[in-house]
Amino acid sequence: MRNEKKAPRGRYSVRFFLKQAFTSLWRNGVMSVASVAVLMSCLVVLGAFVLLVANLNKNLDNIAKLNVIMVFCDYDLEEGRAEEIESDIKKLSNVDKCVYISKEESLEKMKEESGDSGIYDDMTGENNPLCESFEVTYANDDETEVFNLEAELRAVEGVRKITSVYQTAKTIDEFKNGIMLVFTLFLLILFVVSLFVIINTIKLSVYARRHEITVMRYVGATNTFITLPFVFEGVIIGVTASIVAYVIEALLYTYISTTGIGDVAFVTMIEMSKIAVPLAAGFVLVGIITGVIGSVASLRKYLKS
Amino acid sequence: MIDFRNVKKSYPNGTSALDGVDLHVDDGEFVFIVGHSGAGKTTMMKLLLREEAATSGSIIVSGYNLTKIKNRDIPYYRRELGVVFQDFRLFPTKTVYENVAFAMQVVGTPRSMIKRRVPAILTTVNLADKMNAFPKELSGGEQQRVALARALANNPKIIIADEPTGNIDPRMSIEIMNLLMKINKLGKTVIVVTHDKNLVDYYKQRVVILDGGKIAEDRVGGMFS
Repeated sequence: MRNEKKAPRGRYSVRFFLKQAFTSLWRNGVMSVASVAVLMSCLVVLGAFVLLVANLNKNLDNIAKLNVIMVFCDYDLEEGRAEEIESDIKKLSNVDKCVYISKEESLEKMKEESGDSGIYDDMTGENNPLCESFEVTYANDDETEVFNLEAELRAVEGVRKITSVYQTAKTIDEFKNGIMLVFTLFLLILFVVSLFVIINTIKLSVYARRHEITVMRYVGATNTFITLPFVFEGVIIGVTASIVAYVIEALLYTYISTTGIGDVAFVTMIEMSKIAVPLAAGFVLVGIITGVIGSVASLRKYLKS
Repeated sequence: MIDFRNVKKSYPNGTSALDGVDLHVDDGEFVFIVGHSGAGKTTMMKLLLREEAATSGSIIVSGYNLTKIKNRDIPYYRRELGVVFQDFRLFPTKTVYENVAFAMQVVGTPRSMIKRRVPAILTTVNLADKMNAFPKELSGGEQQRVALARALANNPKIIIADEPTGNIDPRMSIEIMNLLMKINKLGKTVIVVTHDKNLVDYYKQRVVILDGGKIAEDRVGGMFS
C-alpha cells in the first residue's frame, strides 16, 4: 500500500510567497498598520528596558570595580602618625594597596570635582578643614572579607571613619532586580497583546483567502506551502515594526545621552555605536519570532486535513 | 482504482451518513453517484477527498489506504485527484491562465512546465482563446471549463466533479458533460456526483444510487429513476 510521501515535482518560488504576502497585507491595510504599531510600541518599551538595565549594570560595574575603601583619619593627627597608620593598614590581610592622601591633595581633588576653585581659596594651609586619608584597595571582594576589613580599618587607632561603596552597590543591585521583575511582567503582557493583534490581522487575511486555501488543499498543497505566505506576512509585519522601533529607540537614546541623564556627573551611559548592532538584531529577532508565532497560530484551524 | 469496503460514517451528533457502503470503481471508469438530499453523496465526496475519515471500513484510492493515511501524506494523495465544484471556486483576480497555473504552482511545478502545459490544457477544454480573460468576463459554462482545466492541471488519475452542472444552463451542462466524457476517454476515472436526472439518463453510464446512506442500486448503463 502506498502511503509514503512522494517527492515534490519542483521547487517553490520565494517570489510567489512574497507576492502573496504583500498582496494580503495591502488588502488588510488598517489591521496591518495596527499590528505594526502595536508590535513597534512593545519593541520600543522592550528596548528601553534593555538599555536601562545595560546602563545600570555598567554603572554598577564601575562602582564595583573601585574595590576601594576610603579611610579618614582624626583631624588632630600628630605629625608622623599618618605613616604609622599606613603601616598598620598595610599589615591587614585583605589589603592590596594603600595610598596616602594628604589634606592638600584632598582639597585639590575637591576643587577639580566642583569646577569652582574660588570658594576653596581661603581653605589652604592652616585653614584646610579636611583630614588626612587613605585609599585602601582590597584584594578579595568576598562580602565577609570586605566586612572584616572594614571592621579592622575602623579599629586602627587614629582612624575616624571609613566609607565603602560595597553596600551601596549591593542595594542598587537589589533595586535593579526588583525593577527587572516588574518590567519583565509588563513586557510579557505587552508581548501577549501584540501577539493577539498580529493573530487577528493574519486571521482576517486567512478568512479573506479561505476559498483559495480550500482550492490549494484540494489540488494537493502541503501545509507548509499554505502556511508560508502567512508566515512571510507575519515576518514582514515583524521586521517593519522592528525597523521603526529601532529608529525611534536610537533617536531617543541619543537625545537622552547627549542632553539628559548623560550630563549627570556620576552616570556614564553606553555609547549608541556600541549597542546599535545588538539592539537592532534583537529587535528584528523578536519581531520575526512574534510574526511567525502569530501566523502559525492563526492558521492552525485551517490546516486540519 | 477506488475501493470502498463496508464503509460507515457517522458524525458526532449521531447522524449516520453512510451505512456499510461497498463500491469498486476500476481505472478509466465513468460513474455517476446520484441520490436525493441526505442520501450520503456529500459524505462520500468528503471521504474521497479525505476531508473526513470513515468511522469504520476501508477506503483505498489509487493505492492510498485512506483509513490509515497520515495527515502529512494527504496532500500527496490529493495530487492523484482533480476536483470540480458546483460553484467553480475560481479566483476572481486571476486570469484564466493564472487560475490554471495556480494549481501547478501549488505543487511546485517548474515555471517552464507551467508555460507549456497550461495552454495545452486550455485547448483541451476549448478555452485557448480566453487565456487572458478574468472569470467575471466568462459565462457559467466557460467558468466551469476553467475549473475543469484546473482540475486537469496536475494530470490526476481521477476527476471528481461535485454537481458540475448545478450552476449552469442545460445547454452548457451538455457541453461540460461532453468534456468530462472526453476526459474519461483520455484514460481518467471520472466520478460525477449529481442529482440531475436528465443528464444521468442521457449519458447511460454506470449509475450508483445512494439512499439513506446505503447503495440502493449500482448498474452499468443505468438510469436515475
